[in-house]
This record gives sequence, C-alpha cells and structure tokens, in this order.
Amino acid sequence: MKRIFILALALCLISTGSVFAAGKTVRIGLMGPMTGPWASEGQEMKQVLDLLAEDINKAGGINGMQVEVIAEDDAGDPRTAALASQRLSTRDVVAVVGTYGSSVTEATQTIYDESEIIQVANGSTAVRLSEKGLNFFFRTCPRDDEQGRVAAQTIKKLAYKNVAILHDNTTYAKGLANEAKALLVKEKDIKIVFFDALTPGERDYNTLLTKLKGSKPDVVFFTGYYPEAGLLLRQKRELGFTAPFIGGDATNHPDLVKIAGVEAAKDFYFLSAPLPKDLPSAEATSFVKGFEAKYGNSPNSIYAVLAGDGFRVVVEAIKNAKSVKSNDIAKYLHTKLTDFPGLTGTISFNEKGDRVGDVYRVYRVDAAGNFILQP
Amino acid sequence: MEQFFQQLTNGLAVGGIYALIALGYTMVYGVMKLINFAHGDLFTLGSYLGLSLLTSLALTENIGAFMGVIALAILVMALVGIVGVVLERAAYRPLRESPRLSAVVSALGASIVLSNGIMLIYGAKYLFYPQNILPSMTIPIFGLPVPLMRIIILVTSLVMMAALYLFIQKTTIGTAIRAAAIDQGAARLMGINVDMVIMMVFMIGPALGGAAGLMVGLYYGNINFTMGWVYGLKAFTAAILGGIGNIPGAMVGGILLGVIESLGAAYISLAWKDAIAFFVLILILIVRPTGLLGERVAEKV
Repeated sequence: MKRIFILALALCLISTGSVFAAGKTVRIGLMGPMTGPWASEGQEMKQVLDLLAEDINKAGGINGMQVEVIAEDDAGDPRTAALASQRLSTRDVVAVVGTYGSSVTEATQTIYDESEIIQVANGSTAVRLSEKGLNFFFRTCPRDDEQGRVAAQTIKKLAYKNVAILHDNTTYAKGLANEAKALLVKEKDIKIVFFDALTPGERDYNTLLTKLKGSKPDVVFFTGYYPEAGLLLRQKRELGFTAPFIGGDATNHPDLVKIAGVEAAKDFYFLSAPLPKDLPSAEATSFVKGFEAKYGNSPNSIYAVLAGDGFRVVVEAIKNAKSVKSNDIAKYLHTKLTDFPGLTGTISFNEKGDRVGDVYRVYRVDAAGNFILQP
Repeated sequence: MEQFFQQLTNGLAVGGIYALIALGYTMVYGVMKLINFAHGDLFTLGSYLGLSLLTSLALTENIGAFMGVIALAILVMALVGIVGVVLERAAYRPLRESPRLSAVVSALGASIVLSNGIMLIYGAKYLFYPQNILPSMTIPIFGLPVPLMRIIILVTSLVMMAALYLFIQKTTIGTAIRAAAIDQGAARLMGINVDMVIMMVFMIGPALGGAAGLMVGLYYGNINFTMGWVYGLKAFTAAILGGIGNIPGAMVGGILLGVIESLGAAYISLAWKDAIAFFVLILILIVRPTGLLGERVAEKV
C-alpha cells in the first residue's frame, strides 16, 4: 500500500513538473561553486543571473514565458558537480550556465550531453573541453591556447629572457602553462628556467619562492588562481624576491590586491577578458549600474559577468529560435548568433561551441591597487 | 647553503603551526581514542574570532601592538576553548558509550557544521587582517634575513607547547588527564572526575588550535572558511608521525613534517611535496608503527 502511495506521489510530482515546463516558465540552470574554495565566484554568478532574470521577467519574459533560475552548488569539486548536474537534468532545465573550473566542468559535460541540455560554461578555459565534439557545449570564456598565445606574446613584448612558469596542477592551470611553454621554447632568446606546480589551498609558499628565486628568472608566469597569486606576491616581497609576476586570467579578482597588500601587488601583470568597467558598451554600463543598485557593490569577478553572458545568449537563442528544444537552441547558437552584444564584448560561437574573437587584454596593477588596462 | 638554511627556516615556521594544531588532535585522541575531525575548523574559527575582536575592540591601537596581540590571543583562546567544550557536550558526550565509529561520524558532521556555519556568518569571501599590526621587519640570523613574524610564530608555538607539557606533567589536573588517558574506568575508581578531565582536554586542545588560527591570520593576512581542512590534515599527519596520543610526539611530528615538506620540495620536487611528506610518514610507520615517540600500548581486551 505504502509503495503504491509513493508511486502515486512520484507520478504527481513528475506531472506537475512537466506542466510547469510546458506552461509559462522557462527554467535555466546555474551550476556554480556556491560553497567551497571558490564560493565567492559562484555566489556572484548567482547574483548576476538573478538580476538578469529579474530584468527579463519585468520586461515580460522570453516570448511571454517567465524565466526561472535554478541554482545548484558544485562546490568547486568534480564529484559534487557530477551530482549537481544529475539533479539539474531531472528538473526540466533548458540550459545550464556554468561552471567556473575546467576540471569541474569536465566532470559534468557528458551528463548534460546525454540529457540533451545546453551547457554554457563561463570560466572553463581548458582546450580539450570543446574538442570532444559535444553538440550542446558552449562557453563564453576564451580558450587557453588563445590565452597562452597572448601570454607568450606579452612576455616577448616586455623583452624578458629567463622565464619561470608555475602552475597548480588543475586542468586549467596546467593546460595554460603547457600552452605557454610550447610557444616560448620556440623563441630563440627565451629560456624556460623553471617549470613546476604548487599545491593550491595552502598559506605558506616560502619554500617554493626560495626555490624559484634560486633559478634566477627575469619574470614568473603563474597560471593558477588569485588566492595563491596574492599570497605569492605578498611573500615574495617579504623574501626580497624582485622578479615581476604575470598571472593568467584566474588571477583577475579584486581580492588579489587585498591578499597581497597594495605594495606587493603593484606592477603585477595579468591577462583577462576585459573588466566590465573597461567596456564602453551600453549593455555593460547599464548592467553594472543595475548590479550596483541591487547589491550595493559593483561585480567583482569577470567570470560572474561571463556567466551573465552565457545566460543572455541562451535567452536570445530561445527568443529568436522560438523554441525551448535543445537542438533548436544549439543550432541557433552555432550558426545564427553573430556579434551578439554581450556584456564582455561581441559574442559568436564556432562549430565547437567556442567563443570567437579576440577577448584577452593585458592588465597591470598600479600603485593604488587598481587594475589598469594596458594598451 | 644559504638556500638550505632559508628552506630550513621556512620548514620550521610552517612546522611550528602544524605542531600547535597537532597537539589538539593528540590530546583528544590520548584521552578519548577519538580523532576530532572538527579540530581543523576550530582552528579556522580562531582566526575568524581573532579578526572580529581585532577590528571591533581595536586592542592594538589602545594598548600597543604587542600587548594588544597578546590580549587578543588570550581572548581568542578562551572563546575557542569554550566552543570546544560546547562541541564536546553536543557532539561527543551523547555518543560516549556508542561504538567508536559513531563518534568519528559525529566528528565529521561537526566539522561540516562548523565550517559551513563560519561561511554563513562571515560569508564565503576571503577576509583580511589589517596590514602591519606587527612590524614587518627582518632579523639577520647567521647572515640570513629572517622575518620577525616567523620567529615570533615559532617561539610562541614552542613556549605554548612547553607550558602544556609542564602542565600535563607537573600539576594535579595534568596527572588526572594522564590517568584518564591510560584507563578511564580505573581513573574514575581513583576518584578522578573523568567528565571534567575530558572537558579540560576539549578546552585546551581547541584553545591551542585557535591560537594557531590567530597566528596564521596575523602572518599570512587572509583567511577563509576552508583553510582548516589543509591545516587539519597536515596536523593530523604530524600527530600520527610523532605518535598519536603523545604530547612531545605531536611537537616533534609537527616540526619534522614542516621541515620534511620544505626540504623535499626544495631538493626533490615541488609538485610532489605532499607525496614526499606522506612517503616519509609511511616509512616511519613501517619501522615504528606507533609513530616516532608513541608507546606500544597493549590492546585492551
């Protein structure tokens, strides 16, 4: 008897679920690190999506349908992410935005692909994610081979000879380090004097810095994330180690300066998609204004803004393809969406689902801790 | 050679903190045969409470930098000690008679509750200690510039460990703690209030962990709610390395682990730093299964 009751209850739930989807709501999932070491990224991703969805719903929704954002926590951890993606794929979402780390995204790609759900990653830049021929995978961030190219070009332009490369063994950081290394070894007058990985999540990197200092580099290219970058800068200053540091796009976060301290962060270079403040487009300006009005501060993380772009391209595709079917949306994104005015610049996707175009910029931290766009 | 000494000081500074946290694991294990997995999060709590008190009471501005930090340390240790006692009441005492596994699961649960509680109260973002509370100067030792803060950390750790050792060896309460560690039933028959002993243990261990948290916050400048995990794991390893349940063992294990990590990373491989440290741990456990200073205790039947 009890079993029949549970079965009936389950059926009821399933049917109400599908009625919802067919009715007036479009559900878009958000998978992000709401807890765990990158929780600040994930929580801001949610803030951005909530704000955008609110605006769309106020303006009448997508073709008359209201948008509902369903957030799941991946904790910045591949195993948790696999569970989160399974939960999302049972909840009638049309598309999922996220997530931040490449190794985390990788754990969920096939799950979404098998459930025929569009996935738009916002911070996962590892090259191989889009080399698998997955029809429903897109990303609004650029790839590491592009970033590696810009890094090598920047190092060459600044005329450094002895280069140290440091990563943290994550899919993203290691990939980027390898891309940059492959390009730099081709240069005749550049020598790679150091190539190794640190352990993320620790507080003390003096051992590493002492060793790094011993290899006498002119410049250090660090491909890991901002908490470690901040600590490295802080401790290298204390150690009297003066070689400049260049960071990958995961070091782009205002907390970098707070962790390092203003003096230590000065003259740190990093590569990144342009910050919202450096975008003259009307979309970006009004978005930042709206964000400040709702949350009292401007968006900190470029990845949260890139998640916003992921959300906006999905909305655009649903609106113009007049369909919530994954195949129609994917087709629209692959072929019809060209030069969509995103928050981080114009967006088009190639056949692999990668964002097309020149996205990376070089930033430098000035004496007051501001991120200054380099010409 | 200069690099070797530099790496040695690096290892000693990190090891001092490991040792201080390891004491909390080893004391609880010694008396209750329980791994307190929430200990790493009590360490985190110490650094958060330290920041709150530092900014709200402005101690360092009112009574000078050094006195302010000492007063702060005492406050933080007292508060974290109280949390430790409450934790024991809530999570471990109801399970005292249950199988040991239940208490371990409860400890893991307490760890999750604490770290997520900290996240809910303080937020997931990194928080920052104000800069330059203590002068960031270096002192030359054998011609090597060593930051003052590192010396303070190591000396403070050593002083606290020595004080604890004397407390356990020389005072009546210390004797009671040692008695309860050997045999709780017999200790009770001798008129020792075992509940009180356990309460003491859960006050002293977390208080030391909290002090370590405060030192990490003051020196490294930034804290977040997950940092207890890495430190907890390392300190737990250090406690086993030195012989869990043994107080000098935790000190030796902590400092040794810091130095092994540092020298292994410097001269073998950076990326394999943790692997090297754990490899050494396995080697030591093969030769001495009870850890470096652990005593061979007959299995109670």
